[in-house]
Amino acid sequence: MSLDDALARRAGLPPRSRGVIALLEENCTVCMLCARECPDWCIHIESHQDVVPAPAPGGRPRTRNVLDRFAIDFGLCMYCGICIEVCPFDALFWAPEYDYAATSAPGLVHEREQLRAWMWDVPVPPPLDAAAAPGAEVEAAEAAERSTKR
Amino acid sequence: MTPAELAEAVGALLEAPAGDAFGCVLVDLPRERWVAAATAVRDDAALGLTMFDVLTAVDESPAGFDVVLRLWSPAGRHGLVLRCRCPREDARVPSLTGVFGGASWHERSVHEMFGIAFDGHPDLRPLLLPDDFGAHPLRKDFVLASRVVRPWPGAVDPGQSAADAAAARPRRRLTPPGVPQPGSWPSP
Repeated sequence: MSLDDALARRAGLPPRSRGVIALLEENCTVCMLCARECPDWCIHIESHQDVVPAPAPGGRPRTRNVLDRFAIDFGLCMYCGICIEVCPFDALFWAPEYDYAATSAPGLVHEREQLRAWMWDVPVPPPLDAAAAPGAEVEAAEAAERSTKR
Repeated sequence: MTPAELAEAVGALLEAPAGDAFGCVLVDLPRERWVAAATAVRDDAALGLTMFDVLTAVDESPAGFDVVLRLWSPAGRHGLVLRCRCPREDARVPSLTGVFGGASWHERSVHEMFGIAFDGHPDLRPLLLPDDFGAHPLRKDFVLASRVVRPWPGAVDPGQSAADAAAARPRRRLTPPGVPQPGSWPSP
């Protein structure tokens, strides 16, 4: 198969293809939920705390968690997607990339730079069906709007 | 046949209530009726459940083991799940090899993984495990050695590095769901 064929095939992958798990690290708050829910123990996260000075005089300084390491061991991952579902901040996504074979088991441990790079390939979610109900968040917002108008 | 029609037909045939398990029609049977019930639903022309799909087990400790059989009708495109509970101390169920020849490997697999004996099976040799394995790895009380020797990545708290978590006092260390507290494991 030529390179052009391979690229064309990747472009033709259906939406929600489970190729690899990508990390949008700007959204990650280091809550550790994904690492704790992972049935395969394949997500490794390390972080440290930064002190943010008080925003105004008289306020108190806050601490903030800063991500140092986010690695997924794709030699252990079984592609269940529990980490993606459990993430409360939408930091993990399915990306369609599938050709990341390695010649050794450590080569399948991918660090945050690679996980972030895969994020660029995450497709836009497909539009809802014509007859589908609106999303739960849209319904909640509309209900909230109605209740405040009353 | 819709699930409701199937449940009614099977319930009438087996004289047992047909329930619903995650969208599958399910019938619970005692051990004495296990083989007779599988034969009856296989031979019923209207049901047409002639295809043996899978036989497996679930460790429902402490209540016992559930042996689960799924049959499929290629013509009617519907499936049926039969389930039989046996106690932990007397883990044995009659063999279905006389009804479906294909059940043989499934029963050998369940025998080695759960330690359930199948009365009437011609040859319960281990299927996948080595002959001298000496344990039943799918029982809930089987300790997974890899879970004992590897540190759990989720033990790291937000704002910690892996080294911080390893240095934390053992009392503070978190354990993952499903893995018992250290010290409570049965000795191997």
